[in-house]
Amino acid sequence: MKMTESQDIEQATTAIAAQPDNKTRRYDRQLRLWAASGQAALESSRVLVLSASATSTSILKNLVLPGIGHFTLVDSTLVSPADAGNNFFLNGRDSIGKSRAQEAVPLLRELNESVQGEAVVSDVKELLSSDSGREWITGFSLVIAHNLAKPVVDDLAALLWDDLANPPLIVVNSAGFLAEFFISISRALWYAASPHTDAIPTLRITRPFPALLQWARDLDLENMDPTTHAHIPFVIILVRAVDLWRREHNGALPTTMAEKRAFKESVLAMKIKPDEENFDEAEQQAWRVWSEPAVPSEISALFSLPELQQPSTSSDTNALPNPTFHALLRTLSAYVRLQRVYREQAAAEKTLFKELLAQVYPELAQKIDPDEVDTFVKNSHHVRVLRGRPWRAWDKERDVVVSSLSATPRESATHLALSALSTLLAQSSDISEITVDSLKKEVQSFVGPDVELPEEVDTAIGELARAPTADLPNMAAFLGGMVAQEAIKMITQQYVPVCGYCVLDLVDSWTGIVG
Amino acid sequence: MTNGNASSGDWEGRYFHVDQILDRPGPRTDPSFLAGEEVKDFLRNKCKILVIGAGGLGCEILANLALSGFKDIHVIDMDTIDISNLNRQFLFRQKDVGQPKAIVAAEFIMNRIPGVKVTPYYGKIQDKDDDYYMQFNLVICGLDSVEARRWINATLVNLVDPENPESLKPLIDGGTEGFKGQARVILPTVTSCYECSLDMLNKPTAFPICTIANTPRLPEHCIEWASVLEWPRVHGDQKLDTDDPEHIGWLYSIASARAKEFKIEGVSWSLTQGVVKNIIPAIASTNAIIAASCCNEAFKIATSSAAYLNNYFMLIGTDGVYSYTFEHERREDCPVCGGEALDVSIGKEWTVERLIEMLVEKQDIQIKKPSLSSGAKHIYFQAPPQLEEATRPNLEKMVSELVPDGGEITVTASSLPFSLSLRVKYV
Amino acid sequence: MIKIWSMKKNEDAAAKKKPKTSAAQIRVQKDLTELDLPSTMKTHFPDPADLLNFTLTITPDEGMYRGGAFVFSFVINTNYPHEPPKVKCTQTIYHPNVDLEGNVCLNILREDWKPVLNLNSVMVGLQYLFLEPNADDPLNKEAAEELRKNREQFIYNVKNSMRGGNIKGVHCEHAPQSPYSSHALELWHVVAATWVAHSLEGAK
Repeated sequence: MKMTESQDIEQATTAIAAQPDNKTRRYDRQLRLWAASGQAALESSRVLVLSASATSTSILKNLVLPGIGHFTLVDSTLVSPADAGNNFFLNGRDSIGKSRAQEAVPLLRELNESVQGEAVVSDVKELLSSDSGREWITGFSLVIAHNLAKPVVDDLAALLWDDLANPPLIVVNSAGFLAEFFISISRALWYAASPHTDAIPTLRITRPFPALLQWARDLDLENMDPTTHAHIPFVIILVRAVDLWRREHNGALPTTMAEKRAFKESVLAMKIKPDEENFDEAEQQAWRVWSEPAVPSEISALFSLPELQQPSTSSDTNALPNPTFHALLRTLSAYVRLQRVYREQAAAEKTLFKELLAQVYPELAQKIDPDEVDTFVKNSHHVRVLRGRPWRAWDKERDVVVSSLSATPRESATHLALSALSTLLAQSSDISEITVDSLKKEVQSFVGPDVELPEEVDTAIGELARAPTADLPNMAAFLGGMVAQEAIKMITQQYVPVCGYCVLDLVDSWTGIVG
Repeated sequence: MTNGNASSGDWEGRYFHVDQILDRPGPRTDPSFLAGEEVKDFLRNKCKILVIGAGGLGCEILANLALSGFKDIHVIDMDTIDISNLNRQFLFRQKDVGQPKAIVAAEFIMNRIPGVKVTPYYGKIQDKDDDYYMQFNLVICGLDSVEARRWINATLVNLVDPENPESLKPLIDGGTEGFKGQARVILPTVTSCYECSLDMLNKPTAFPICTIANTPRLPEHCIEWASVLEWPRVHGDQKLDTDDPEHIGWLYSIASARAKEFKIEGVSWSLTQGVVKNIIPAIASTNAIIAASCCNEAFKIATSSAAYLNNYFMLIGTDGVYSYTFEHERREDCPVCGGEALDVSIGKEWTVERLIEMLVEKQDIQIKKPSLSSGAKHIYFQAPPQLEEATRPNLEKMVSELVPDGGEITVTASSLPFSLSLRVKYV
Repeated sequence: MIKIWSMKKNEDAAAKKKPKTSAAQIRVQKDLTELDLPSTMKTHFPDPADLLNFTLTITPDEGMYRGGAFVFSFVINTNYPHEPPKVKCTQTIYHPNVDLEGNVCLNILREDWKPVLNLNSVMVGLQYLFLEPNADDPLNKEAAEELRKNREQFIYNVKNSMRGGNIKGVHCEHAPQSPYSSHALELWHVVAATWVAHSLEGAK
């Protein structure tokens, strides 16, 4: 065993390691965010984008570059002089009069050779009118629609909401400096397994598992040599201090300010030399014992999901399995030991989890990939279930909308103004009918005549009346980034997508959530 | 065709979308906005804008500016294209690897968007002088280095000439990291500047050198061992080139061996490169958002068509969408835009010693033990002894021998928060 | 273009123009000209016009390194004080917190550097390493081990190293301030004390 190891070291030092392959190098900066698993998910995704507007091609650009598997761009219209002026993925004046979708797709595909792309010259309304069209749409993994006519979006959203297996839909609407988008998602389980989450792992200090507690109790502080003493990991110091504290306080943790101070003093009192940093570290980390751990609220909420069957046995600790552990600890030997202790515990808990799974969901346990179980257990601290709402469900609760108008006037007003604009645009193709008055009338009739509209409504409406059909290059690029970001989060399942209408105002440069 | 669309290459309706904004004001538009042809003419025929950086943000910025109607765009970048840029820098292709970013990006934009002139400069921002920066109306930065940002910020603050309104160049700065980013508008000497907010930056992670040397626990410790301690020990004066795959390969194998010895998992090529190059994760979508925000501010400032960002926008997209727009305040003791400045009129025959006495005695400033310099020239230093001795002969010299009329003297002293700047006039 | 100029408060805007010196340059001028060093520390500028490259010589007047003269190079880049100065010991010395390459283990030079710290704080920190060498944060493991286990032997090694002796096969540079300093006498006291300690141990 030792031989192999030393040989490996020798090998490692003599051979100059070769750099990674081209694909890994190309995607290096994003693999640092979502790793190979996220990349694989992207590469197997199929994205459908409805309308080949400047905003749509901006969204697609940001999905083709990181390497989705496939995209289809649907648009039945021809390139207008205005399109040729504001869409980067057209050949300027040369594209005028040609199919928007067909002109844009080759320019998007050349961004990344490994992405498949297809143009479909069809009208979305027509696609939705046939069963084959409807079935075709549901075959994608994500659908994105920009500035589609209101009835078409409503129909599309209803179709996709209908079945849990259908792809989620992102509805995007913009005009001038204002925009919003909404993710309509029936239900999905997310692991937010990103190494960039800021959540702090629980160290089980207040509920130590036996090996940890034993170690802390076995310490012979008085007769230990000074170097070892100065290198007791802070975790162990805290476990010991909590253990002693509980014996003297009927099992309770320190709660009042005075108790917390006394607890910290008890930690520092264990020092044998004033400069023992591990005890200082333990004192600084003492906040970890002010409360019991700490299944995150998002996680504990999962246990009350109606779909879940309750396990017949429960684990004796009310804690989640341990994630990999890297804390700041002092010496090598103590650190390696601590790491081993945590790792063994994590392995034991994984076994327990698998037993429970087999007991409660025998069928699922049979067919599930063991790697997936490992990933799930490892990331159990970051699991979230997002429960989406149907498109426009929020808008139907008038009381909620009205109270939101006074609680978050800026965001709510912008959302209502954009809704009113879609309604008016669907009623008439005459742009001159979009005025401050007609928009305001629409908003007022939506919330009811008795509701006094805040001035934020006038601000939003004024901006929309100024530029009701403007797909501004900067807004298109901004939305292109925002929507692609959400798409990536949904596809990789490592970051949490936004819930509700995400509203943008590029005059005062803010984003907000409503609904 | 109207005046605003006079340049060649334009077609009727080209600016249909943008013109909806430029033809009439909105509710939050400043009354000074001149809707219609005049503003279009300025944007499309007169306005000159500088883009610093042709990388992740720069590519996006160039495309957005060109589509928005800016026609005279300059771009500076000192880098060449690397394969790892291709996941987001969408003006570059595999065949362009190794070529200068500024030149390839400029050509791409000019091919795709007719009538737009993009003038590239392949080199450093520090190569250019004040006259160069003076020619632009606006500057947008998409940089990845604190140092370059500090330099351009200080340069534009220094450029502000009290007698010349044209000398005040709005600086729009963007930055991203993974799913996070920020955009800000700096009006030099009016709003908070880049230096004012330097303490908001996360300091780069550094590990104690003794941990690296003795008690490594993380893969990063092993990599730092290889790069900080082993590289100079083994290679002496040969500089570590973090772009050289052989150098990274060497570090990777040394780090791996050390990791093995200490039973540490997780040293990989990618992590090695990440640690030694201080690589920041970067994706197209975040760059698109931030670049769009920067260009949107440039557009609003150039046209006055809507209120502009006052003055800081930050976005975090890891968990939902969270953004925060706020006014970052100027720092009184900012080394670049803060501090006091004084006009002093002295006799042509005044010695440095007499000037110092005047500074010490002057009731309204009361500087104790001032040290003086002018540009790179040391006039008089109170300490350390060697420099005091070296500059002591200057005490008897006339100020006018050392500093020209209207020249600047930088004064530092422990009683001053940072420095005081004197503008000397001889009477 | 927006009318930014009108937003400039009329104030003394007239005199706001700053000299063409970088913030880093001014900051270094401020740090250096306000240095308040004890007589045991001296700076030296090979090129007095260049404030960014200089050396610091520390000649401790107490502790076990008393009598030595230790030279550190300081290299400051234009990103100062966002980045700390780069400091290295230019000699091979026997010290638990300085390795044989001259790397120094001082927290404020790396992980704990903050722009509010200045050159004075770094210099004081360096001097402290000679007054209180720290065996818990070793860069030279053998030296740290010796300091922990056998303080007398450690002191003996320090003195020996400062005379240019070999410690465990590593040749240390001759580092005395003056070979004939009054500290020589103390050195022999220490050597004698070590001898006594050793012979006592042998007698046990």
